[in-house]
Amino acid sequence: MSASKNTVWRKLNLLALLLFVFAPLILYPFASLLGYAFTFNGKISVEGFVGFFTSPTTRAILEASLKILVISGVLASLTGITIAAVIYFFPFKGSGPLVRFMELFVSFPSFLVAFTLIFQYGDEGSVNILLKEIFGLEQAPLSFLFGIGGVVLAQVIYYTPFIVRPTLNSLLKIDPSAIEAAKTLGAAPGMVAREVILPQATAGIFAGVILCFLLTLNEFGILLVLASAQLVTLPVSIYSEATINLDLNAAAVQAVIMLVMSVCLYLVYRWFAHRAGEA
Amino acid sequence: MKTFVTFLPRALVIFVIFMFFVMPFIVVALSAFADQWSGTVLPSSYTFKWFVNLKPADWYALRMSLYVAAEVAFLATAISVWLALTIQSVGGKVGKVMDALAMFPISVPSVVLGLAVLITYSSRPFDLSSSWQIVVLGQTALVLPFAYRIIAAGLQQEITSLKDAAKTLGAPPVMVLREVTLPMLGPAIRTSIAFTMAISLGELGVTMMVYPPGFETVPIDVINKVNRGFYYDASSIALILLAISLTVLTLIAYLRLDFWRGSKRRELAK
Repeated sequence: MSASKNTVWRKLNLLALLLFVFAPLILYPFASLLGYAFTFNGKISVEGFVGFFTSPTTRAILEASLKILVISGVLASLTGITIAAVIYFFPFKGSGPLVRFMELFVSFPSFLVAFTLIFQYGDEGSVNILLKEIFGLEQAPLSFLFGIGGVVLAQVIYYTPFIVRPTLNSLLKIDPSAIEAAKTLGAAPGMVAREVILPQATAGIFAGVILCFLLTLNEFGILLVLASAQLVTLPVSIYSEATINLDLNAAAVQAVIMLVMSVCLYLVYRWFAHRAGEA
Repeated sequence: MKTFVTFLPRALVIFVIFMFFVMPFIVVALSAFADQWSGTVLPSSYTFKWFVNLKPADWYALRMSLYVAAEVAFLATAISVWLALTIQSVGGKVGKVMDALAMFPISVPSVVLGLAVLITYSSRPFDLSSSWQIVVLGQTALVLPFAYRIIAAGLQQEITSLKDAAKTLGAPPVMVLREVTLPMLGPAIRTSIAFTMAISLGELGVTMMVYPPGFETVPIDVINKVNRGFYYDASSIALILLAISLTVLTLIAYLRLDFWRGSKRRELAK
């Protein structure tokens, strides 16, 4: 009696979760999104996607997104891995709090980072003025802010901490006795790095890199502040299709394309994170 | 020579960390108090006038940001406790599917999530397009994976065995929940509330997509001011938001939760 009562409760609980959490927050919205993406002139069709990949305008948007993604992702990864490696190999007094501070940095909204760059690297910004005074220049030496240069700089700044933490974590997880053993057996520092440290840390570092690419691809606020009118990426385009052109079908098509890309990146991330967890 | 080899990388890293991660905080603070900051390395003089200048619309945006953040944090955390407890007791394939569904929004771009919510809730039968609850709904979906991950990590093995012990001793389920599970989950619940509030306060993608006419949060207010060139006004309201958000997040630093790794959750899922 009590067992069957239990299963009834269990089923009711699952039903309630489905109805009040999963349906309104996730299932219904994404089903509607797919519905809009695959509707063209009131009929079910993939016309919207064909249009997206054949129109030069939308292809330019896709190319701009991928270009910014690759440049920012690679630069942020290099910066993050370098910072983590220096902190790991040459720890110094205060490096712990510095890493903590970088973690806190992610509470800083990304669009604010972009905004503060105007005061630093704008034509009348403090860095430009400082360089002008030091080198006695007539014109602002750094003039890249509004456009791809500024967007990349802001994204590198904002997403580097997302690389530092996972990289440092996977370096710190390596058993020090393995490194000690290799050294005792006469391995040179380069060989220790190549043969002992790298193989064990790679999966964790890759997980961080993929996560960084995922977040960079989806970035929106930085573009709103620093992108020029010609520089349109997918998130900006989705936003303007939906709220300015009021074309929800076109926005949904682009959103589904973005969704596929970011879900794929997320699955790759999960795979690397899983491997790093087991290593 | 050897000291130089270790000094150079350290100095470089400290310089980069300062320029990249410390400067944004300094710049927001300085520009909010700067009388004029253009063409000079540091502001020429300092003033409170930008704060005095803030309009009722700015304070409205701040109040709305706080309302939305409080509601989102409460909803996402309450849902996550419910979800995590259910998934733990169900287990198996159903549990895995529910776990994947709860984590799904983490892989979704905020603009895409915003669009999905906008499409769904701006027409009948569920028309929320004129209510700011549509912002709450969208942000709750966005932060759900973070809250769920924190709560699930808090539901560790020890709690389960304590729960089993209480059950074996004949405690009714409601009593187990009230006396054992919720008190043990206390720190995780606090962390989840703090973290989701911090995300919500700075959220832009979902909010820009769905917000109803006449409604504003601080991030939208700041973006509008920046795009119209009102930099100092933007700085002053942004600094207030940042101060609130950092206070909330200090709680997390204090509680020392490693929030972007899900290793504990994965152990639970097994």
